Amino acid sequence: MRFEEKLPEEVREALSKGLLKRVPPTFLPFINQHLREWDYLFPYERQSVLRFLVYLAGLSEEECARLFRDVVQLEERMGVRHWPFSTSEQTIQNASLLARSPYYQEWRRAVQKVFDAVDEHARSTNAAGGSSGNRLVLLVIPRPLPLNAAKVWHKWQGIGRPVKLDLTLSSETASPSQALLGGITSAAGGLLDDALRRADAPSADTWVLDAGSSLVDYLLNRPPSGAHASSGAPAILLGYGRLAPFRESFSHEMNTMRKDLADADAVYDHLRKVDVTPWCPPEVAPEPRTREFLRSLYLSGNGALIYGNSFVEWAASEALRRARPRFLAAHFGVRSKPKPFTGVVLFENADKLNPLPAVDDLPGSAADAEMLALYVWLAATRNEEYLRSTVCLCLAESLSEAYVVAPVEFALGRETAPVPLDRLAASLREWIA
Amino acid sequence: MENTRPLDAQAGTQPAADADSVVDRSKRSFLRAAGLLVAGQLLPQARAGKSSLAEAGSGQKVVVAIIGGVRRAETFSPEGLENIPHLAQDLLPKALFYDRLRNEGVTAHFNATASILTGNWQRVDDWGKLPPTTPTIFEHFRKQLRVPRSETWVVASNKALTSLIGASSASDYGPEYGANVVFPKQLMIAAAADALRGGRTGNMADRAKVEAEFESTLEGSNYEGLGWTVFDAADRLDPRVRSTIKEAIASFVRGVPTSGDELTFLVSREVMRKFSPRLLVVIFSDVEVAHFGSYALHLGGIRTADRLAYQLWQEVEANPEYRGKTTMLILPEFGRDPDGSTTNGFFNHRANEESTRTTWMMALGAAVNRPQVIERPVRHIDLGPTLAGLLGCSPMEALGTRLVELQV
Repeated sequence: MRFEEKLPEEVREALSKGLLKRVPPTFLPFINQHLREWDYLFPYERQSVLRFLVYLAGLSEEECARLFRDVVQLEERMGVRHWPFSTSEQTIQNASLLARSPYYQEWRRAVQKVFDAVDEHARSTNAAGGSSGNRLVLLVIPRPLPLNAAKVWHKWQGIGRPVKLDLTLSSETASPSQALLGGITSAAGGLLDDALRRADAPSADTWVLDAGSSLVDYLLNRPPSGAHASSGAPAILLGYGRLAPFRESFSHEMNTMRKDLADADAVYDHLRKVDVTPWCPPEVAPEPRTREFLRSLYLSGNGALIYGNSFVEWAASEALRRARPRFLAAHFGVRSKPKPFTGVVLFENADKLNPLPAVDDLPGSAADAEMLALYVWLAATRNEEYLRSTVCLCLAESLSEAYVVAPVEFALGRETAPVPLDRLAASLREWIA
Repeated sequence: MENTRPLDAQAGTQPAADADSVVDRSKRSFLRAAGLLVAGQLLPQARAGKSSLAEAGSGQKVVVAIIGGVRRAETFSPEGLENIPHLAQDLLPKALFYDRLRNEGVTAHFNATASILTGNWQRVDDWGKLPPTTPTIFEHFRKQLRVPRSETWVVASNKALTSLIGASSASDYGPEYGANVVFPKQLMIAAAADALRGGRTGNMADRAKVEAEFESTLEGSNYEGLGWTVFDAADRLDPRVRSTIKEAIASFVRGVPTSGDELTFLVSREVMRKFSPRLLVVIFSDVEVAHFGSYALHLGGIRTADRLAYQLWQEVEANPEYRGKTTMLILPEFGRDPDGSTTNGFFNHRANEESTRTTWMMALGAAVNRPQVIERPVRHIDLGPTLAGLLGCSPMEALGTRLVELQV
């Protein structure tokens, strides 16, 4: 089925009557790429694109001209029509041309104004979309990472409060985060099961991101139980360690093609088309949207190919932006120290280049995780959905402590005595139920 | 990122004895005859029988150390001072410190560096496929005062730069008046890639063999492929330059820190000792590991830059070719994006925010009349005209203006 056939009737009709001819060239890569990749968009993204197109379709010629007036004027001053500017997709060259224009910042503001107008219209017509219900962002800095109790929450600047925990477990085979997500006892089920059991859960509403593989391995390998059963959409489970074949193959393609920066868009074009399915672990391979999410994650950089913690942070930020999930768990981990002479050659695999054994950088990984955990929460708060009815809990396993940012109605935020793990689990389960 | 001193730390403060200890006269005659050494272009006049032309201008020297993107939050802020002990404790008390240095142009590496060097905001390709559009300080200095190429060098770690940073596309200027440009880190990358291709990755774990790998790459490379413009013939490396780089490699391989900036520093120091250029621009970029999201390694890069900038200053003070007649400037290209920005905070440097645009600059040495803090905002494009003034050139045609506090 072509994507046009899946669009609402009024949008299809508007597109067929030349809706996109009313849109300035610098908007077209965004729209065209989204329409072409329709099958791979998360429900929230589809709603956003539809909202935008429906709004445009409802405008008269004059209203449309007024909406885009500033952008059009700036494009004229920038000389966009003389640029080798792709209107079919977002390219590195497009980004570079825009960014070095002296009008770039003005253009960004003008573009934002257009999106603000669309959002305002959506709010006024109750078309803003998004799922209702409480949300949970669970951040885990696992036990091996050493943290300084006096400084660990400093960067959070008092937006929440630390809560002491008693992380004594009934089972010694599971870490606190594994127990929270998977269930303290195998029969009881955990947070993940509760998140998946919510009746109105759309797809891509539940994410678990792991900088290694232990957490995702644990969740995938739990013995079958009625508590784990869910009829809704499955959770998206992404483990950096489990994605090693994907990363290595992707890096290999990138490096073997990376002859000349002039070819960067050609490299990206190739990487957009290469079949990644054989590189995926079983929990990802049959899920086209998740495969494409990973592809775009690795194409957009920010360290996702290099470091597990960067992967978790960037994947979480992108998931929050694109899918607005109500449940997201981000589990950080350990990276190795850079190796002599090759550690800075970052686009290669240091282990391939240097046979010296990898050495864990625990303090460095802890510093990375502290900062990136905060970044995940800041990424969430850029979206209106997470400004209300959302609990953010950052679990510092080595300190038996959590930092909690939560609405007043979340009871755990007021505890003073150490909170046992089962009570913590119960509070969180109650929150998302 | 390791931050201990190199094993041969003593070497860090000892200037080369004299020119003839490096190349004897008969060898130089032979090289000149063979066309491998372009006299008057390559060798600094001080070493090869200085002419009055080389003394043209102020007779002063300038060393500019440019760090990549660093935020004030991780440097000159109460929390950041622990990352810059040398800048804050050893150098600040004798420095002229510009508290607000603004990058109002494109906050990408090639354009930022090109803006510093030309005195105009450059808006060319981010990846160095196009040269700056207005003359660089190198061209201005060399053309106006007929200064040989050997007097102007860029030694850079940053892979976003190319040899086109050394000269502009401006009419009546261009590569003929450009600087020597060296990318030591590219050599390291090429050596690692050569070892991988050749199935010799085991060599990268053995310091003696690492040196051989580097030298093999140095001997065999097409220097244009490495992004270098050292001298006119890119496929032939002058023996003196080769020996300069080999010595830097030997120090590097023996040392404990093994980052790209360490090699950049060692090559810069060797260039100072062998060629003592009047204008040397050193560009560090270990901090750019931030693009890959490791905050700890980014902080490690800041600490490395802090230490290496200090060691450069120590070289200036210890080297008779520089002592007492050199001004050194230390500055970031720009900051980085603020925490919570849509551009992923410290990872990147493209937000139109104070955190990205406003940093600082430190000046040391001959042009500093007295230590002070200047709170007036100054701009990256003010550097080009200021460097021109310090070197004794007439003003550049630039949007930037000379910083009046720096006078020789």
